[in-house]
Amino acid sequence: MTRSWDVFCAVVDNFGDVGVTWRLARQLVEEQGQRVRLWIDDLSAFARLCPEADAGLARQTLHGVEVCRWAQPWTDTDPADVVIEAFACRLPEAYERAMAQRPRPSLWLNLEYLSAEDWVSDCHGLPSPQANGLFKYFFFPGFTAGTGGLLRERGLLERRRAFQGDGEARRTFLRGLGIEPRPEELLISLFSYEQPALEAWLEPLANGTRPVRLLVPEGRLLPDLARWLGAGALRAGDHHERGQLRVHILPFVSQPDFDRLLWCCDLNGVRGEDSFVRAQWAARPLLWHIYPQEDQAHLDKLDAFLARYCVDLDLELAQALRSVWRAWCLGEAPGHAWTLLLGHLPALREHAARWCAQLAAQEDLASQLCGFVANRT
Amino acid sequence: MKTAQEFRAGQVANINGQPWVIQKAEFNKSGRNAAVVKMKLKNLLTGAGTETVFKADDKLEPIILERKEVTYSYFADPLYVFMDSEFNQYEIEKSDLEGVMAFIEDGMTDVCEAVFYNDRVISVELPTTIVRQIAYTEPAVRGDTSGKVMKTARLNNGAELQVSAFCEIGDFIEIDTRTGEYKARVKA
Repeated sequence: MTRSWDVFCAVVDNFGDVGVTWRLARQLVEEQGQRVRLWIDDLSAFARLCPEADAGLARQTLHGVEVCRWAQPWTDTDPADVVIEAFACRLPEAYERAMAQRPRPSLWLNLEYLSAEDWVSDCHGLPSPQANGLFKYFFFPGFTAGTGGLLRERGLLERRRAFQGDGEARRTFLRGLGIEPRPEELLISLFSYEQPALEAWLEPLANGTRPVRLLVPEGRLLPDLARWLGAGALRAGDHHERGQLRVHILPFVSQPDFDRLLWCCDLNGVRGEDSFVRAQWAARPLLWHIYPQEDQAHLDKLDAFLARYCVDLDLELAQALRSVWRAWCLGEAPGHAWTLLLGHLPALREHAARWCAQLAAQEDLASQLCGFVANRT
Repeated sequence: MKTAQEFRAGQVANINGQPWVIQKAEFNKSGRNAAVVKMKLKNLLTGAGTETVFKADDKLEPIILERKEVTYSYFADPLYVFMDSEFNQYEIEKSDLEGVMAFIEDGMTDVCEAVFYNDRVISVELPTTIVRQIAYTEPAVRGDTSGKVMKTARLNNGAELQVSAFCEIGDFIEIDTRTGEYKARVKA
């Protein structure tokens, strides 16, 4: 059944909020046949992800999604059948009132943050009575049954396998980024937050025996990288060499191209939520920079994910992985574990492929959302 | 108004015109320094139970309830009977004493607080610290006086908790009713 959806996205920092909601909106339209308005308060952030978007337009249709500027003050709008507040953003008050006043009140969902912690499945799908008489439902993405699953477009894994099995496709893509890869090179992508200990991570690569090409999209890491390179401000297109390490600064790319970048690489450094999930679909080893929180609450979430991810991993590798990921997230030097991990990338790649297959056994998030809505309307 | 994270078990909130007693509240940090609170609720008018979740900073209206000092009298299955200083008796179901059942025992003299809604007792709160006697525990380990080694002890009402290894059958112990934990061995 086709329903109208309003998805609200408040861009707080970085691109995760808008990245996730843009994917979801497209999937709801293209795969689930829904009518979707995506309300974004910062269209300039959206335009970075979707180059064909015009940040100056209040409304535009892209890939079947009506992308709307979430402006202040709010202009009265008829609410949709289904309303999603992404990442616990606050809806306009007038919109909330209007939801309750519909002949058939809107079905209201809070699309929560992703976590591997056990409590998530206990809270997933629970109602939250609101002062206006409506019930808001908390919808939690997750890695296991009992959660809302993960965003995964139809055919994504097939496209990934086809790309990874086509050397020419890989080379063509990388050439488009100004990179001519060599067969013996280790290819690493690095999309992270600030990393004060970056030197301790890159020196072993520069001083190692194997050529390494480091692909770094424009972002928060560049000042730390520039300092290590002894360079001025880094920009897309710049490249530097240090011993065995070649560093390329990449432009901000579209979501499909970011996927291809992950598919190309032997190891992907990712951050936050959206790129973290994409790296798991890439079935390649990853290094996760979790979003830091007060009182180091993020470390519990990091540990919860690692507890699941490392279940059938060799004990020594699992310990090294935990050590490396914690050091990366704490801004510390990695020690010997980093070199150990780099020496076991083939085993980690096999593990990543098994993990991806395990995740793919879950119904994807957009399908689960539609099922959830169908059961309550 | 109070935020969801400020509510504790036993307290009551007005949710859409209905009084709901919070039987259990679990706080969890979600993302970006936000948090959620999962609550197990019981409707004081209908008795219906439900589970909900709130953002930690969602505002809820607390219902201030009447409170009265009472002492425990007896158990008349399935109800527990408490009495105030004027000998008025108040009955309460076991399910409404879920948080304090471990501390209820025949002959207890602790001055408790009964919480009322519409003249009906909905919960009973015990003092923060109570004294109970150990009915059974394994013999004390000679030489350990540090109090750091713990062992299981059973109280007269059958409830069990961990106590210092030097405690013996018949000893009186202080218990923190907020956590259910042993605090110290005391003289009777």
